[in-house]
Amino acid sequence: MLKTKDLSYWYDQKKNSLFENVNLEFEAGQSYAIVGQSGSGKTTFLSLIAGLDKPKAGSIELDGKDINKIGLTNYRKKDVSIVFQSYNLFTYMSPLNNLLTAMSVTESRHAGDKEYAQQMLAKLGLTDSQMKTNVQQLSGGQQQRVAIARTMVCDANLVVADEPTGNLDEDNTTEVIDLFQQIAHEQGKCVIIVTHESAVAQACDNAYRLEKHEFSAV
Amino acid sequence: MNFLKRAWLSLTAKKGRSVLLILVTSAIMLFVLAGMLIHSAADTATTNAKKSVGATLTLSANRETAFKKMKKSSSSKPKLTTTPIKLSDAKKIASLKNVASYNVTATTSVNAKSFDAISTSTGSAGPGGQSSSSGDIAVTGVTNTSQVSSFEDETNKITKGRGLTSADKNTNNTVIESELAKQDNISVGDTIKVKSTSGSKTYSLKVVGIYKTSSSSTIQQGPGATDPANTIYTSYTFANTVKGSKYANTADSVTFNVSAPSKVSSVKKAGNQVINNSKYTLATNDSSYQTVKSAMNNVKSFADKIVWLVAIAGTIILALIVILMIRERRHEIGVLLSLGESRWKIIGQFFAEMVIVLIVAIGIAGIGGKSVGDRLGDQLVSQQSASSAATISAPGDKSVQMSGKPGGPSGSGSAVQGGGGPSSAGTSGASSQQTDLNVNVSVLNMVELGGFGLAIMFLSTMIASGGILRLQPKKVLID
Ligand SMILES: Nc1ncnc2c1ncn2[C@@H]1O[C@H](COP(=O)(O)OP(=O)(O)OP(=O)(O)O)[C@@H](O)[C@H]1O
Ligand SMILES: [Mg+2]
Repeated sequence: MLKTKDLSYWYDQKKNSLFENVNLEFEAGQSYAIVGQSGSGKTTFLSLIAGLDKPKAGSIELDGKDINKIGLTNYRKKDVSIVFQSYNLFTYMSPLNNLLTAMSVTESRHAGDKEYAQQMLAKLGLTDSQMKTNVQQLSGGQQQRVAIARTMVCDANLVVADEPTGNLDEDNTTEVIDLFQQIAHEQGKCVIIVTHESAVAQACDNAYRLEKHEFSAV
Repeated sequence: MNFLKRAWLSLTAKKGRSVLLILVTSAIMLFVLAGMLIHSAADTATTNAKKSVGATLTLSANRETAFKKMKKSSSSKPKLTTTPIKLSDAKKIASLKNVASYNVTATTSVNAKSFDAISTSTGSAGPGGQSSSSGDIAVTGVTNTSQVSSFEDETNKITKGRGLTSADKNTNNTVIESELAKQDNISVGDTIKVKSTSGSKTYSLKVVGIYKTSSSSTIQQGPGATDPANTIYTSYTFANTVKGSKYANTADSVTFNVSAPSKVSSVKKAGNQVINNSKYTLATNDSSYQTVKSAMNNVKSFADKIVWLVAIAGTIILALIVILMIRERRHEIGVLLSLGESRWKIIGQFFAEMVIVLIVAIGIAGIGGKSVGDRLGDQLVSQQSASSAATISAPGDKSVQMSGKPGGPSGSGSAVQGGGGPSSAGTSGASSQQTDLNVNVSVLNMVELGGFGLAIMFLSTMIASGGILRLQPKKVLID
């Protein structure tokens, strides 16, 4: 469903390209891990796929359509859902309101459905009272589960995550990996996770390594 | 609607910040409102002043031509001679459309005979000795005491008996001041005797009423100054009799009451066509209105400056606060952008937050605005009264000095220009109106304040929103 076409990116000069002419394909219902050394450009690549930045050369196509044509704001709203290492929740809201806000901003088909949001949070292990307290009072693992629940209640078929387990311990990491697998296999979405943890990479259906400006399957 | 809910959630979650915003905004709104209140109170004061003095015209001798004549005269001792007004001329104006009534004023002075005039330490018997031509009792001959400005503005009030009316024409009825009555044990119904300043004639006057004056200022200044309590009111016919036979059917001034203030200028125009303009002048009697107006214009321009200064400073302050707020909330903005929220809706959320703050602040300002406006207004007015009193006294004095009458017992009584000329009565009336600056919060004020506040909030949010428009979500979110 997502294709990169001769994708290139550099920050200052073309000769310092992080990657050049990347042609990759990502399918719905599959999970993908992207690994590589620190500073190799994984996050940069993800930000392009997430529609947070524009490629320097080449393009990204969603179901055959250039995401630039869709419009990056619209693409972020409808087609892609992002999970960050630092959770990036609305700090002044409860988990429930975080979900409801995301649902209504992205105009999800469940928008306004409080029960659906509550069910999702319950499924991810939050108690009723935790759902209604401020998110900052939750643990890192709980906050990351709220962030993942946020992608699950939104309609976007593409889920990208940058080091989602970076701040989590082993138990939480395993749980989070399971959740991403559920998103791919049960919700039928395409999941792309940037990680440096081999456990995460191994759990995903596919893995690519970014090395020497090129992606290669692992 | 979603961004409105977010605005509400954000405001209620960050209570400390919201309270701070409300305090700052309330302070700004309070001063804007106070300025607006003072402005509208000054407007009301001006309108009231116009209403109370605007509907009269005064016919008096043309001093300008009299002055020219005096300069031309080759006499070694030039004398200012003005023609008294012929009542037949005054009646021509009285018969014009929209003239409701008129009041004739003739002034003179006499000496007390059967009683003693009140003498004040600074009073009449000055070092130069009393001029033989001025008496100790000022006689103000009128048609109707109720139409005399000092009675209209309640400087003088009838306390016993009655005032004079047109029915008192050709009688020797009089109304005297309560101090004089008390000192000499005179009551309503008594007869008092006065003699002409030349001493040749004695007149009996019947007291029909007693008035109390609140005027503390000596109405007349210069030689022959006498206590205000020594002013007696009679019919103008009596005053003319005292002045001499050639003054029969004349007046020093005639005041016309016009049916409505808006008709004054048309009546003045028509009046000027039926009288001899070299002999007479027909003037609108608005000196106290002009005093109030100029004082209030100063108050208003100061109030406007307050409003604009506070508005500009407030916009800058609020813009800075919003800029800081946006910096602090970059993260939240980044998350919203990553969810695909449009930048304008994010700006809308910030604006909505400011509007909610504004509504609370306007409520607070509405409660506190009246007292701040009252205090600020009093301060402004007291400064204004001080400066306007100074500017007013100069022309006032001049008019008193110039109001000499041809021959006869002039000098003293002349300043009592029945119709309420630009004398001290006018000044005191004006300043009493100034201190009455009536600061009130109206619905219109609040609506205006709301509009002003919205404009300030809109501007400051727009100034600050450049930060939102430039914000790169990637930079904020991935680090
Ligand atoms: N905004 C920027 N301007 C200039 N250079 C940048 C910018 N962001 C990242 N870089 C550089 O680009 C390179 C790739 O950065 P990126 O964050 O994509 O790496 P990464 O693979 O995600 O690394 P890590 O595993 O440490 O997260 C790094 O050398 C980094 O210094
Ligand atoms: Mg990275």
